[in-house]
Amino acid sequence: MKEANEKIRKGLEVLGSGEDSKLLSHLNACVRCGLCAKSCIYYLSMKDEKLIPASKVDIVASVYRRYFTFTGRQLPGLVKARDLDDKTVTEMVDLLFGSCTVCGRCVKHCSIGVDIEYVVRKGREMLSVMGYVPSTLQSTVRSALDTGNNMAISHGDFVDTLEWMEEELQDEVDDPEARIPMDEKGKKVMYTLNPREPKFFPISISAMAKVFYAAGESWTLSTRMYDVTNYAYFSCHPDEAAVISRRMYDEVNTLEAGMLVLAECGHGVRSNRWESPNYIKKQFGFEVLSSVELMAKYIREGRIRTDRGALKEKVTLHDPCNLVRGGGIFKDQRYILKQCAEDFVEMTPYGTDNFCCGGGGGQLAMSEYNERRMRIAEIKAEQIRKSGAKVVAAPCHNCIDQLSQINFTYKLNVKVKTLAEIVADSLII
Amino acid sequence: MAWYNWFGIFSLAICLAVCLYHVIRLIKLGMPVEYSGRSGSPVSGIVYSFTSAMNPSVKESASLNLPVYIAGIVYHLGTFIAGILFMTVIAGLSPSGYHLLFFAFFLFISALSGTGILIKRLTDKKLLYISLPDDYISNVLVTFFQASGGVFLLLPGSEPVFMISAGLMMLYLPVGKLRHAIYFFAARFHLGFFYGWRNVWPLHKQKVDERSK
Repeated sequence: MKEANEKIRKGLEVLGSGEDSKLLSHLNACVRCGLCAKSCIYYLSMKDEKLIPASKVDIVASVYRRYFTFTGRQLPGLVKARDLDDKTVTEMVDLLFGSCTVCGRCVKHCSIGVDIEYVVRKGREMLSVMGYVPSTLQSTVRSALDTGNNMAISHGDFVDTLEWMEEELQDEVDDPEARIPMDEKGKKVMYTLNPREPKFFPISISAMAKVFYAAGESWTLSTRMYDVTNYAYFSCHPDEAAVISRRMYDEVNTLEAGMLVLAECGHGVRSNRWESPNYIKKQFGFEVLSSVELMAKYIREGRIRTDRGALKEKVTLHDPCNLVRGGGIFKDQRYILKQCAEDFVEMTPYGTDNFCCGGGGGQLAMSEYNERRMRIAEIKAEQIRKSGAKVVAAPCHNCIDQLSQINFTYKLNVKVKTLAEIVADSLII
Repeated sequence: MAWYNWFGIFSLAICLAVCLYHVIRLIKLGMPVEYSGRSGSPVSGIVYSFTSAMNPSVKESASLNLPVYIAGIVYHLGTFIAGILFMTVIAGLSPSGYHLLFFAFFLFISALSGTGILIKRLTDKKLLYISLPDDYISNVLVTFFQASGGVFLLLPGSEPVFMISAGLMMLYLPVGKLRHAIYFFAARFHLGFFYGWRNVWPLHKQKVDERSK
């Protein structure tokens, strides 16, 4: 009983912390007009009322009303104020973790301007501090906390992979001096990776290394802290997110790098570029850039040259939610593709209106929701099919994983590529 | 002054006092401290949030539900007009002139819009699911406020009904969902700041085209 009360206290502390007016504003603003329904891939795919974004806001707001408003305390039935009990928690887990990719599409289209994604993330934070994160997601966070990367790749294996990729790079550029530098101090760029790269797609490491080679960049990888991801950003545990964020911050400073460059990973870019400084409550003293921005910069400045006809097949672009809606990076990925591909076509809709692939919000890590994840992916599959493209570019390894599964499940017969792979294949050296 | 006028004034005072409390609380809590490096303009984001971002051409909730969107705008305009009418009566002025017919007509139309929205809430499966008793009460109070305002403009003898409906609505405003009259502005402000800081907003058509090059 005492333990249960302590959990409830911790959960309510998230709602009542009174840090600023943001949460209070969004919790009190929803008018339950329901117009957000058609913006949500879950509702569009399954047509279940409980999946409407307003419903996700309301389950958090109903707890807020119960404990923090006069009406909710005195007349809970009037405003359906809910106790934070087991039933509510179970529903919250299913709705906020299992039925939302926190893609933020509903936010842009909310008639009022409620930051639905922010409220969902606060709800997840409540569950997180109470210890109710789905175990699959929590184990991914745990791996990162315990081993330094979310896939628990050992230091030895990682170094071996980099050495192997260095040989590949040397062969490809026909230069025995071409290198993948490790833990070198004082370089201009400290580059990061999504652990999926060394684990499953090492070719994308050599692709980016080839870009750095062509640009003549001064760069290094850290073998201690290279993981661009921060799954605590998905589980929304502020302390765990801060530990991972601080490690990256410390490593950039240890290696005395001038710039942190983030691999193609939507949430990795968002968490490191935008959220990490807030997690550790510190302004970074170095520049933080996504590799997409950096590659576009190289091309614009003439540091690398690409063959505009290198990619002859029709290519379309998937906009990762965290990169575009959550990070304002819209132009550079399009610029890059137009420098490498003959025939680039947008999906409909695209940009800030683009639909999530279905793998965001930690969904790929939560196998218990796999069936739902692939069901909501039908929308993305249709977008790709209608584009007529044979290649789908996605500047996010998480999205690449999901898109590859969509490709298989919905028989799209397309190639799914990162931008670094496309640029590397187009380089004129 | 008649008792119903005093009731209206009393309700207005309570409403303003509680709303003021909400506003002061928001101001005292302030903005979140942002440690990340800014890449856009929060001011432009906020301006965009209150202007172009509300345009149906960039907002699916409006463009895909145009009749409801228009009904909503008419409904809100009706509330402002009925509010001005209420203030006129409180100030001891007697509304007169031919233009009153226009305002009465508009209030009936807006009350009709409110009724339509209420019917939709009662019949649409997804709206039924997310609705609370508060939603129905709020709608009925505001719709009745507007309709009674329209009747009052045509039949001045119905002033007590109008003042009582206004008073009831104002007493309810700070405790139910009608307090979005305050929090709407706060939410859009925060959203504009957030997107503006990250250079997501403003994002208008011209910029999209230009960015695609």
